[in-house]
Amino acid sequence: MSISGMPDADRWEELQITRLLFGLSLEEQAEFDELAPKMPAEQSELFEQVVASIDVAWSDSKSMPLPGHLRKAIRSRAMEELTTQALQSVDKPTVANAAVVRSSKLPWVVAAACMVITVLTLFSSRQNEPANVVRDATQQRAKLISTAKDLVQVNWNDGPTPISGAEGDVVWSPSQQQGFMRFRGLTINVPTMQQYQLWIFDKNQSDKTPIDGGVFNITSDQEVVVPIQAKLRVQEAYLFAVTIEKPGGVVVSSRERLPLLATVN
Amino acid sequence: MQVPILPRVARGETNAIDECLDRYGGLVWSLACRLSPSTSDAEDAVQEIFVDLWRNASRFREDTGTEATFVSTLARRRLIDRQRKLRRHPEPRSIDETGVEYAAPQSSSQMELAEDGVRVTACLEKLRQNEREALELSIYHGLTQTRIADRTGVPLGTVKTLIRRALTQLRNCMQVGSRLHAEGGVQL
Repeated sequence: MSISGMPDADRWEELQITRLLFGLSLEEQAEFDELAPKMPAEQSELFEQVVASIDVAWSDSKSMPLPGHLRKAIRSRAMEELTTQALQSVDKPTVANAAVVRSSKLPWVVAAACMVITVLTLFSSRQNEPANVVRDATQQRAKLISTAKDLVQVNWNDGPTPISGAEGDVVWSPSQQQGFMRFRGLTINVPTMQQYQLWIFDKNQSDKTPIDGGVFNITSDQEVVVPIQAKLRVQEAYLFAVTIEKPGGVVVSSRERLPLLATVN
Repeated sequence: MQVPILPRVARGETNAIDECLDRYGGLVWSLACRLSPSTSDAEDAVQEIFVDLWRNASRFREDTGTEATFVSTLARRRLIDRQRKLRRHPEPRSIDETGVEYAAPQSSSQMELAEDGVRVTACLEKLRQNEREALELSIYHGLTQTRIADRTGVPLGTVKTLIRRALTQLRNCMQVGSRLHAEGGVQL
């Protein structure tokens, strides 16, 4: 079905293209939502199909393989997703499924129930693991990013005493009081001589006494993800700072060696 | 033609995850690198895209397009959404846009492309130079319409027209190609 003779056809095409290539503003989105029900459904997918085909044709997939650390993180997350999906699909049968199950597949129901119990038992025992059994930080970070609605994400910038080539970012969720630092190129430290320490500057706290975000080590010049261990509740962080301190960290930093800063806008 | 992997992902086959990353990891990563402001942003975007893919794998239908275009559609939606959110902050731009070099995209070889990719490559050849350039700057390099106008020196309204005309021609060309292919096995 062609839309060429329809009123608003021009505007509809323009909005579709803007949405695909540049994203719509709030006003444009409202206009798009208003027009969409009036337009044939198949028309809305044609441009998208064209652009997707161009993306495939112009992709540099052979010369730009997915980096190993990223692949590992995605794979871990996928396993988690598949486990969740399997649990949900066994746990919530549709009405039609339930009828079929009742009538002819009772042995399978028993088997599925056993599987659910086994998985749930494993899952609950995993939750009871001691706190020091930390799951992969990269995986936890990815989960926080995809679930936290109030996520703060800022890049590291050079501090007063920068380390050349160091980069990365900080993610922090105020509601979950959880966050992660990501580094690449930060110098590997010798823990018996010095350690890195994170400081969180909170708007409700004097800047002379930032919150201790934990002492940590850098063990690789590849990407390292470090969980933030805030010692106090962080209400409204406006700055994250990494200092180099003596082993075990300090209560008050002299801030003499301050390689990285991340400012929240 | 490659056997689709997504139906196996939808069934929860864990070995399909590795195959999916082998086949589409590069596609998603190259798209994310081009349409993200930094490497760390691209890394976050790729993780979000694959979560979307695992969750939507069951929606893939072979009769509506290739698996690669399904993946790139999901990826682009997520990337544009992220761009839109970032645009709430001032957009970083070069002081002199005309001085920045933007390399033309290299098309994948015919051997590597699925049917849709082969068809669109043939259709792209039929565009005028200025139409193709506008598409390259928007689709491949992720430039906004304003930056394309700065870059090319043509008015913003003309940029919009060029992009729209190019996409409309490609849409028509691909529809014709698809119909011919279905009717008589003719390939563009």
